Amino acid sequence: MYKPLRRILLLGVFAAAAMLVLAACGGKSKKSSTASSSGSATTAAPSGQQKGGTLKVLSNEDFDNIDPGQAYFQLTYEWLNAAVRPLMSFKPDNATQEVPDLAAAAPTVAPDGKTVTVKIKPNIKFGPPVNRVVTSTDVKYAIERGFTKQVPTGYIGAYFGVVEGAPTTPGNYKPISGIQTPDKTTIVFKLTKPTGGQLAQALVLPITAPVPKEFAQKYDAKTPSTYGLHQVATGPYMVKRLGTGPDAKVDYRPGKGITLVRNPNWDPSTDYRPAYVDQIDWSIGNDPAVAGNQILTGSSSISGDSPPAPIVKKAAQQFKDQISFTPLGSRYIAFNTKIPPFNNINLRKAVSAATDKTQLQLTRGGPIVGDVATHYIPPTVAGFSDAGGMAGPGDDFDTNGAPNQAAVTKYMKLAGFPNGKYKGPKIFLVASSADPAIKTAQAFLNTLQGLGFNVNFKSVEASTMYTQFCNRPSSNYNICTNVGWLPDFPDASTVLDVTFNGEHIVPANNSNWPLLNDPAINSALDKANQVIDPAARAAAYGAIDKTITATAAAIPWFWDKQANIESKGVKGVIAKWNASYDFSFTSVK
Amino acid sequence: MSVGAADILHETERTGDGGIDSAVVIAARSPMQLFWRRLREDKVALVGLAFIVVLIVIALFAPLIAKAFGVSPYKQSTKVLDQFGSPTGPSSAHIMGVDPLGRDVFARVLYGARVSLEVAIVATAISVSIGVVVGMVAAFYRGWVDTIISRLIDILLAFPILLLALGLASACSLGNGCLKTNGVGRDILYVGLAILALAVVWLGRKASKVKLSGLDRSTLAGPLITAAVVIAIGLFMWQVPGQTSTLIKPGVGVVIFVIAFVNWTYIGRIIRGQVLSLREKEFVEASRSLGASNARIIFREILPNLIAPIIVYSTLVIPTNILFEAALSFLGVGVQPPQASWGQMIADATSIFDTAWWFMVFPGVALVLTVLAFNLLGDGLQDALNPRSRR
Amino acid sequence: MGRYIVRRLLWVIVLLIAVSMLTFIIFYTFPSSDPAALRAGRNASPAVIAEIRHQLGLDRSLLWQYWHYMKGLIPVEVHTKGSFGLGWHGPDFGYSFQNQQPVKQQILDRLPATISLAAGAAVIWLVAGIGVGIISAVKSRSLLDRVTMGGALLAISAPVYWLGLVCLYLFSKDIGKVHIFDGANSYTGITNSFSHWFGSLLLPWLVLAASFAAFYARLLRANLIEVMGEDYIRTARAKGLPERRVILKHGLRSAITPIVTAAGLDIGILLGGAILTESVFNIPGIGRAAYDAIIHSDLPMIQGTVLFGAFFIVTANLVVDIVYAFLDPRVRYS
Repeated sequence: MYKPLRRILLLGVFAAAAMLVLAACGGKSKKSSTASSSGSATTAAPSGQQKGGTLKVLSNEDFDNIDPGQAYFQLTYEWLNAAVRPLMSFKPDNATQEVPDLAAAAPTVAPDGKTVTVKIKPNIKFGPPVNRVVTSTDVKYAIERGFTKQVPTGYIGAYFGVVEGAPTTPGNYKPISGIQTPDKTTIVFKLTKPTGGQLAQALVLPITAPVPKEFAQKYDAKTPSTYGLHQVATGPYMVKRLGTGPDAKVDYRPGKGITLVRNPNWDPSTDYRPAYVDQIDWSIGNDPAVAGNQILTGSSSISGDSPPAPIVKKAAQQFKDQISFTPLGSRYIAFNTKIPPFNNINLRKAVSAATDKTQLQLTRGGPIVGDVATHYIPPTVAGFSDAGGMAGPGDDFDTNGAPNQAAVTKYMKLAGFPNGKYKGPKIFLVASSADPAIKTAQAFLNTLQGLGFNVNFKSVEASTMYTQFCNRPSSNYNICTNVGWLPDFPDASTVLDVTFNGEHIVPANNSNWPLLNDPAINSALDKANQVIDPAARAAAYGAIDKTITATAAAIPWFWDKQANIESKGVKGVIAKWNASYDFSFTSVK
Repeated sequence: MSVGAADILHETERTGDGGIDSAVVIAARSPMQLFWRRLREDKVALVGLAFIVVLIVIALFAPLIAKAFGVSPYKQSTKVLDQFGSPTGPSSAHIMGVDPLGRDVFARVLYGARVSLEVAIVATAISVSIGVVVGMVAAFYRGWVDTIISRLIDILLAFPILLLALGLASACSLGNGCLKTNGVGRDILYVGLAILALAVVWLGRKASKVKLSGLDRSTLAGPLITAAVVIAIGLFMWQVPGQTSTLIKPGVGVVIFVIAFVNWTYIGRIIRGQVLSLREKEFVEASRSLGASNARIIFREILPNLIAPIIVYSTLVIPTNILFEAALSFLGVGVQPPQASWGQMIADATSIFDTAWWFMVFPGVALVLTVLAFNLLGDGLQDALNPRSRR
Repeated sequence: MGRYIVRRLLWVIVLLIAVSMLTFIIFYTFPSSDPAALRAGRNASPAVIAEIRHQLGLDRSLLWQYWHYMKGLIPVEVHTKGSFGLGWHGPDFGYSFQNQQPVKQQILDRLPATISLAAGAAVIWLVAGIGVGIISAVKSRSLLDRVTMGGALLAISAPVYWLGLVCLYLFSKDIGKVHIFDGANSYTGITNSFSHWFGSLLLPWLVLAASFAAFYARLLRANLIEVMGEDYIRTARAKGLPERRVILKHGLRSAITPIVTAAGLDIGILLGGAILTESVFNIPGIGRAAYDAIIHSDLPMIQGTVLFGAFFIVTANLVVDIVYAFLDPRVRYS
């Protein structure tokens, strides 16, 4: 059973782990697909881009999956965006307004909201070895294969589960009746619910990038599919092919790197991407500190994932014009509100008031990499100021930096600990062992111990932290220290719904970490989701944000800015929607 | 594996197979006084011994020493960090600087000595105990017992030990520890029974045709011992009910268990070799011909002659175990923070070692000096026992 | 002799099977995270997770999973369709949970880096260890001897990852105080550029070789001193042979045998991956692959790397024993 969840992503706990920002914006799309170079490393458009050269990308993390039908990580999207063309996409400088990409124009949604029609450009060709014009059936196949067990796409049910005839469980390939292709350039989605507006926004997902069925089906017959290793490009770049035959693999070396070269069949007149560099060499498995130094002092290199704090510091002091910061999402410390002792709201408030958010901020590298948070909607999302802006809703336990001693005393007393010291059984705290998350966790541990808590402190790999503990309510954690959210598009529902709506609590892969299940909040969230007017919508979500903050179910403490660094001579352009470099706009000297 | 001092063991590791005899310790026929006299003359070993004594005192009184200097290993401070959260270097208040949480490095190095010594000594004691018992049993009873034990040791030695340790440590650091569910126990039991069945079928077919040769015996020992071990684990885990009861708790306990588990084999082999040669000696023969019981021979004749080599090898294994603990902590599966461990401090320092040298240097120097001291003492003890290899 | 080798080969196979069982029991029964949930991604529904769990075979019994794995390892295939016959397809180590690539391919891809590291370091430690060992033995109890042996003990006591960091801090070209060696992260394949390959590995070689060289020097020195006291050396001297010849021809010959043995075994161990050195210098070898696999609960990859490491260890043991049996007729083949 697929839940129609909005696509929301986790903040990577360590250097760009699972995270990405994507999907559609709320507004109507402009009809613009002309080539432009409006991107910039910060906000100003750089001048003097040069064609040619090789861009080197250094990251620590590997990609989750190179198949466009399964890719999910931020860093996978970073290069995938240059190699495949989904129906819609974002220009680098605007993360709120999607533009037609493979599509010829913005999708049209029928008045009843149950039919979405997209026209695609007639003159886009697949890269080698397919070399033919892309038709609407290629998009249809790309989405259909996402429902198969060979290509188990995690998010597909959330977006395309409403299409008529869409399978509810992954099985073998079968055509989906609700995706129709009346002619070679038209694709029509028939839906079972009037949520065409949402589906139209989901067309930015790489799952809508065309896949040639006649070429891919022999790879898709394997479980899991090996199409990723033979993938065919539509964007300005393609993963280098190792050989010329139709069965040639692409140059992806797991744990080591990937190489992208120009796609000979890409026609610049069909794309807004300028595509300056000739080649992109991405190397994986680099030590973050060493890679950071090599990028800053070397040439033609950029970071593929977030550099560590010492590198950020060095760059900010000595290489000011080689670093940029792009806002991401919010981080918080989640209490388990279902079991003692943090089912006691006053105890939660006391711990919250005692938390030194300035210290936590320093563990990630100080104010330069993000602001102290006071609630959940991040500054880039509408509803932020309605919830209180930077200062926050103004609850006495929800500090804007240093702890509030008076509030600590008050709430400890209310919680039944008049001497200010907690007495009770050991609490179970789960943290990520990756740097800097482990520092944050230890700083917070200090706060807890100061209040008299006896803590069973468990630091584990981020993957273990989620799959074994924080995403599993049955693990009976009391506190998950290193969790956070990225808005998937600038709408507050993406920050608040899955994370605080009690209806979304599930036994595995749960993301409502506080296990908050307040009927009033649940129904307010459902109602706010139906509000159309942007201002009213923002106000509604702002109010809910205040309500959630008042429950002290979690301690919001950080609004991240992702640092990206580049070598001197690289004209880096950040894709704001992904908070990472846009390879099609970045150029090297 | 590239754990430097694991190599110390190589010279002993190679004494077992193929008749290679580079054993450094041959026998301990000399009386204890002679041994002590020789050791007392070895000034370098005494320096090592003195350092170890001082270190043990420091570890025992770490809280008092830290207090005397007005520092604490757990007290965090943002005042000693800059606006980027970077730590500051040595100063009068913090003689070894602070770490990225603003904790005093000196105090953490002091407390790190506790973890290193605790893990090394306890793990060494456990592995030496297992090794001595198993080695003695194998050599004394010989025959099938010896074959089975020796083959088990072979299997464990064939493992890439750091990988084995990493796997065990990360598995046991989950939840409340490891060895917990009985469903898993059932699966393991099936595996064990299957191996046993295969081995028995093969044995039966062989036995019906020809008499078992030495070749078949040693090849069969592998599956049989594996089956026995697997069945024992399966039965054990079958018997441990519920989700909460576990055998090995996370933290220092896991590290000790892991190190003891992968290290006893070396000692086992050495003791086996020693006992094999001792049991052929005239005084044992004499005792046997006088009608002494096995127990008497083991405890009164053989064991006293093993004490000296056991001491020497323990001293040589301790530094290896210190490095092992540090390596596990360096790789993130050792001691849990905020407890201080030298290996973990070095691991934390890797991301900032070019800007905060003090955070890398001081724990590392402490580690090297400690290991060096044990190595010096071990060398001295070895020489005192075996003057022939005297340097 | 032939019988001895056959028996040892059989034992190698039994050992590897036992290692695979133990690995299976440890890692498959206690994976540190849920591979299916990991692969499914954040937004996956329970149905998708269940499907992936099924695909990975994780919903089957341990016994089935083990059998399934071992079946793949058998390199011979019996054709029953069409004509009956046997086919050789090589052992199949399965597919990585993490990136769905064949485990065998990934390990083979990483083998050159690990071999480069181990071989280069071995050359350095053998040359340095034997050289220092001889000089120390000859000049036994001199100041030079004491200083080098003290240094050797220090080298044995320093953990390789720490030594690596200190060397990077002092001598690397990118962040070092004195710019001598290429820094971490710079590994290049030998086929790309020999000079770059050599430069990038020079520091890792030296760091990795340090403790081995020290150990070999100590071992050789002790052996040599002992051998030089033997009667036949006295005889050789009495014959009036020059001292250099006595040492190199007669003394070293028997004193060096344990060194050869040790080198064989150490190289065997290192070929299975040098986790710590590879981590510090970011060399994409087997050790790092194994470590990453453990971190990500990539069970087939763990199984593959452990078996691979065990294979090198037992093979090295076998080779050393056979070579030794040839060299020393006193060894009985039983």
